[in-house]
Amino acid sequence: MSPTAIRFLTLVRREVSRFVKIKGQTIGAPLLETFLYITVFGAALGTRVGDLQGYEYIVFVVPGLIMMAWAINAFSNNSSSILQQKFQRAIDDQLSSPSSPGQLLTALSLGGFLRGLTIAVITFLVAMVLVDLPVEHPAILILALVLIGFFFSQLGVLVGVRAEQFDDVSFIQTFVLTPLIFLGGVFYSATLLPQPFQTLTEFNPVYYMISLVRYGFLGIDDIDVLLSMAVLTAVTVGLFLFNLQLFRRGYKLRS
Amino acid sequence: MEGIDRNGQGNAPALLVSDLVKRYATGVEALKGVSLEIPDGSFFGLLGPNGAGKSTLIHCATGLAMPTSGRIEIFGNDAITRYREAREAVGLAPQDLNLDWFLTVEETLDFHGGYFGMPKADREERVEELLDAFSLVDKRDQRTRTLSGGMKRRLILARALMHRPRLLILDEPTAGVDVELRLELWHYVQEVNRLGTSILLTTHYLEEAEQLCDQIAFINDGEIVAQGTSPELAGRFGVDSLEDAYLELVGRKELSRSHLGELDGAEIE
Repeated sequence: MSPTAIRFLTLVRREVSRFVKIKGQTIGAPLLETFLYITVFGAALGTRVGDLQGYEYIVFVVPGLIMMAWAINAFSNNSSSILQQKFQRAIDDQLSSPSSPGQLLTALSLGGFLRGLTIAVITFLVAMVLVDLPVEHPAILILALVLIGFFFSQLGVLVGVRAEQFDDVSFIQTFVLTPLIFLGGVFYSATLLPQPFQTLTEFNPVYYMISLVRYGFLGIDDIDVLLSMAVLTAVTVGLFLFNLQLFRRGYKLRS
Repeated sequence: MEGIDRNGQGNAPALLVSDLVKRYATGVEALKGVSLEIPDGSFFGLLGPNGAGKSTLIHCATGLAMPTSGRIEIFGNDAITRYREAREAVGLAPQDLNLDWFLTVEETLDFHGGYFGMPKADREERVEELLDAFSLVDKRDQRTRTLSGGMKRRLILARALMHRPRLLILDEPTAGVDVELRLELWHYVQEVNRLGTSILLTTHYLEEAEQLCDQIAFINDGEIVAQGTSPELAGRFGVDSLEDAYLELVGRKELSRSHLGELDGAEIE
């Protein structure tokens, strides 16, 4: 294996070992939270809600929950990991190594990406057992989830690098991400909303992400799938390139 | 100890700094055109008061700070344009105990080796060597957070040596360390130097610099103000010791130990 490959894999191994070592908090807690959502909104309340867009309510919410779990965990993992390493200055060990800015950025991104993936896969497998969850467009579904996971990983890196205290991270998560995700339609279909909320939802980028995932699972296409996919790809690549520029400049990492 | 004739660049100095300026975003100019040459194989001391620019210089050489202007070369490799080659040659033991709390002692060394591209078998062999050399064998599975200050200091030095650097940078390695460990570290770094590794040491203990370093530079207010051997520096300032030369430099010669006796017999009311 080349020194470059060893460097990159070690950087990734560090990020993965961090969340595996505290798996109760990083894997267990989010899984519990997701299953509580499934139980409360799906099983308990769902029976009263009736079908949504032709699907049982529990089947309707599971795709959004899988996406939400991946997104939130990718974000919070990366922002916390980077901020903690900045606090301890432990990140200097990686920064003073021969690793390139691109390697550092990608490895730091992959930590949260893989944590989100793990939770999403477990949720998916359990959901498959509990409910009759169709997968109508697997290729679109996988591509969309991977892009969404990577987008939120990048967002986590950006916020972690910019943050100077833990409040900075929790502020974004509590006051920006969670509302955008909840109001993007994880628990309901935006088509049911009265005006002006239906139109407002169309300005929420997360709405398109949830709709893509729901299209992948259920085949419901209340958005332009190809256009949404193209925009998601462009935004994800754009954010990666933006972060790469910050890493090249050493923004808030190198003094 | 390995460290010689790898990635060799002829007789290029271990560290060559030319007109290095570092101005922070706050406007503070930490380095004001520093030039410095550390010959390959030397044990070089960089002395100066707190805030003189020692750590900034080290950070610029190791990629932790971005120079505003000027050049830094490590064994002939530019620290910016050829940063991979430059950083591969440097091992940094920073002043802060910046260990990763999530890692064990063994993982700290293993991951560091990985960041520097060392293959697994080589890492395993080197980890054993260093755990043994720094009496860390029975701590190998302990998380770094649970180590005592002295053990953390050992681990920081072991980590810096993990990838067999040709230039070892020690930023105040014995600050807050007990006498036994200080002497132990001195013996170890002297041995490392004898086997060919160049060393840049910053310290506040002048006897440490006198004992270990073959060349010493004084840095004050972001500028190198004097350089030479310990006797040369004392001679240049017209005093008897490195400590007195240092006190001349920082403008506190009244603190010289040679004046200590002057209080004897003085009446204290």
